[in-house]
Amino acid sequence: MNKLRGRITHIESNDHVSLVDVDVMGDSFTATLLETPDDAAYLKIGNVVEVLFKETEVSLAKGLSGLISLRNRMHTTVKQVRGGVILSEVVLDYRGRQISSIITTRSIKRMDIKAGNEVEALVKANEVTLLEVTDGL
Amino acid sequence: MIEIDITKKLFSAQGEFTLALQLSIEQGEFISLFGQSGAGKTTLLRCLAGLEKPDGGTIKVNGETWFDSRVATMLPARHRRAGYMFQDYALFPNMTVRGNLEFALRPEGDRKRVAELIEMMGLGELQQRKPDTLSGGQKQRVALARALAAEPKLLLLDEPFSALDHTTRVRLQDEVMRMQRHYGLTTVMVSHDISEVYKLSQRVLVIEHGRIAKQGTPAEVFKAGQANGKFSFAGEVLDIETADVVFAVTLLVGNQVVRVIATADEVKSIKQGDRVMLMSKAFNPVLVAVGSL
Repeated sequence: MNKLRGRITHIESNDHVSLVDVDVMGDSFTATLLETPDDAAYLKIGNVVEVLFKETEVSLAKGLSGLISLRNRMHTTVKQVRGGVILSEVVLDYRGRQISSIITTRSIKRMDIKAGNEVEALVKANEVTLLEVTDGL
Repeated sequence: MIEIDITKKLFSAQGEFTLALQLSIEQGEFISLFGQSGAGKTTLLRCLAGLEKPDGGTIKVNGETWFDSRVATMLPARHRRAGYMFQDYALFPNMTVRGNLEFALRPEGDRKRVAELIEMMGLGELQQRKPDTLSGGQKQRVALARALAAEPKLLLLDEPFSALDHTTRVRLQDEVMRMQRHYGLTTVMVSHDISEVYKLSQRVLVIEHGRIAKQGTPAEVFKAGQANGKFSFAGEVLDIETADVVFAVTLLVGNQVVRVIATADEVKSIKQGDRVMLMSKAFNPVLVAVGSL
């Protein structure tokens, strides 16, 4: 599980669904949640949360341009590629923090991803979980 | 209101430790004791029932002293009005179902209570049978009725359903819940089954090495952190296998065996037999009506 700490900056809710923005080292992350501040007390602007997303939900892009609906976008550097037959794990440096992406080995080959490359790591807001933390940033 | 403040030295496979529990239970409350075997849960039940004597402390039930080490008071088990139900039914084999219930009546007890219990628990057809001729689920129903026949103030359940199959267990849980509410019985249950604890109890005490390690409502105690993964199921790790650069983890969740993908990091902290929480965001599951499958 990838984990990044940040502070809640904005919450928009309708019915039971909320869109929560979290500032992580100056980048904005968004999570779509089936929770609102009414039923989840930790959803409060200024609260510190852990932004969680599974490695298998992280997509990679090289030389990305144009508009994209994905809100969670990290500019990263590839530290290491652990190749498997079907799947590979790409270890990424994101502003000094380590995150991982698990994508198909086929995509690694097609995009020619290797250590030192700069790639965009992308995560859908639906796949982001927020975890309440009590010990600060 | 039951007030318990006891200590007792226990000897387990891991060595000697002291059971030291302080708790109060509200009238009509259903609490569960959860934790590993040998942590002292059954000892607490036995101390409440009067089958074992604490080394020190007090047990008071609605102001009445059941045990007080300072004045050497130890109310005998038969005067305690505590209904005790074990995993192994412990019915009298030479008596009929009705006989077992009648035997449990208090000397001044009303025989109508036996008839009421037989009626309420659907034991009419079985009342002339001997325990040997009953199934496990039926025996346990009789054991529950017998525990209730004594008009207990306190119902003590020690893993009452662990030997039963899933369907029977669920039915008996419903039965216990119904009777507990009907009589407003204060109940203490030992169970290793998280779903059972969730379903029946208002409060859970996690007992570790003779002490209360954690307590709260089942949702508070079993929630893994404060994640907004709306789906969390308790499961047990059956197997961990490599699957390319990731791992396939086989879990027992309820009665289902499922396999999920986990990363090397995730499997580092788990091993076969461990209890885990399986969480998923509310956005991922796909729902299909059973009839259309």
